[in-house]
Amino acid sequence: MNRLKTESIRTERAEPHKADLDPALPSALDMALATEEEILPTSGFLASVMDRVQEEAARVVAPTPISFPWKRAIPGILLALAVFGWGGFELTRPVWAALTTLKMPLVTLRASDLQPLESAGWVAGALAISLLCWLFSRTLTRRSGLL
Amino acid sequence: MSQKAANSHADLAASDLECVERVLAGDVCAFEAIVRRWQGPLINLAWRYCRDRARAEEMAQEAFLRAWRGLSQWRRESSFSTWLFALAANVFRSELKRFPTVDLPLDAAKEPSRAARQFHALATEESAETVRRAVLALPPRYREPVILFYFHEMDVAQAAATMGMPEGTFKARLARGRAQLRGRFPQLASEHAAYGSTSIEPDSVAGVGTGTEVTR
Repeated sequence: MNRLKTESIRTERAEPHKADLDPALPSALDMALATEEEILPTSGFLASVMDRVQEEAARVVAPTPISFPWKRAIPGILLALAVFGWGGFELTRPVWAALTTLKMPLVTLRASDLQPLESAGWVAGALAISLLCWLFSRTLTRRSGLL
Repeated sequence: MSQKAANSHADLAASDLECVERVLAGDVCAFEAIVRRWQGPLINLAWRYCRDRARAEEMAQEAFLRAWRGLSQWRRESSFSTWLFALAANVFRSELKRFPTVDLPLDAAKEPSRAARQFHALATEESAETVRRAVLALPPRYREPVILFYFHEMDVAQAAATMGMPEGTFKARLARGRAQLRGRFPQLASEHAAYGSTSIEPDSVAGVGTGTEVTR
């Protein structure tokens, strides 16, 4: 009790804003704030805290795998690709240079050689049109409910 | 403080230390003793911050979890209770920053309809509750010192330690907070609690609602 009074006095005296009351006695305001009905924990509080603590402890023992940080890794990956790409290009540059200077023999196809290819193209086109027709008719049949 | 009480507090502090050591050694169940011992004070402290029972329990639970995670950070320079209360106050502060309590402005708090002639009149729960709720309407920098000062049974040193600030700063903020309350409730501020004539003994007043006696 003495402490209650003395702290009150000390607090009031320490401040430029003096209380408008005798600091030797705590005011009714102080008493209202100092007297507070005790809140008792609910019956399940302890258990729920311990459940969460146990969960936490289990997580500490077996930590969940950390997902790969793609967002952070992407710039690095791009940089690595660029470096390796540039390195690869530099390595193969003599080969490219040699290829550009290489003179290939000009291949000329005769018209008679091209004819079988031309007819093969027509056959393939006809087959494709047939396939499309079949697919189209099948779709229509399905929609009509006959199939 | 009597010799008996001092011994009791020393025992409790030693017990806290032992529990902490066991937890740090890997005995999760030892934490239960800590929760059992401090659940009341922490829930009551949280209640004073938000005046919502369900939320007080949630915030206290969060504080215990943070304590569990950060137990190794307790440096033994202060008592375990001081560390725990400081940690809890931090948790409550940030929780209330995220989801503030909905309260009336201080000016909207009703003055008790009848002048409180003596503490008996004030002791009606309604009037007292009005004052307590008005604390939540104080600006945050003054609200917390007021809450902690009364929670710690008007122990400035302990309340300042809980807030982690020098006593001088704490006292300044507390004085401003109390001044605002006095301005809002002038009748109550001018009334003195007549201890001699009331049935409420100072010691019982100091012990009500906090359970922090164990920290002394």
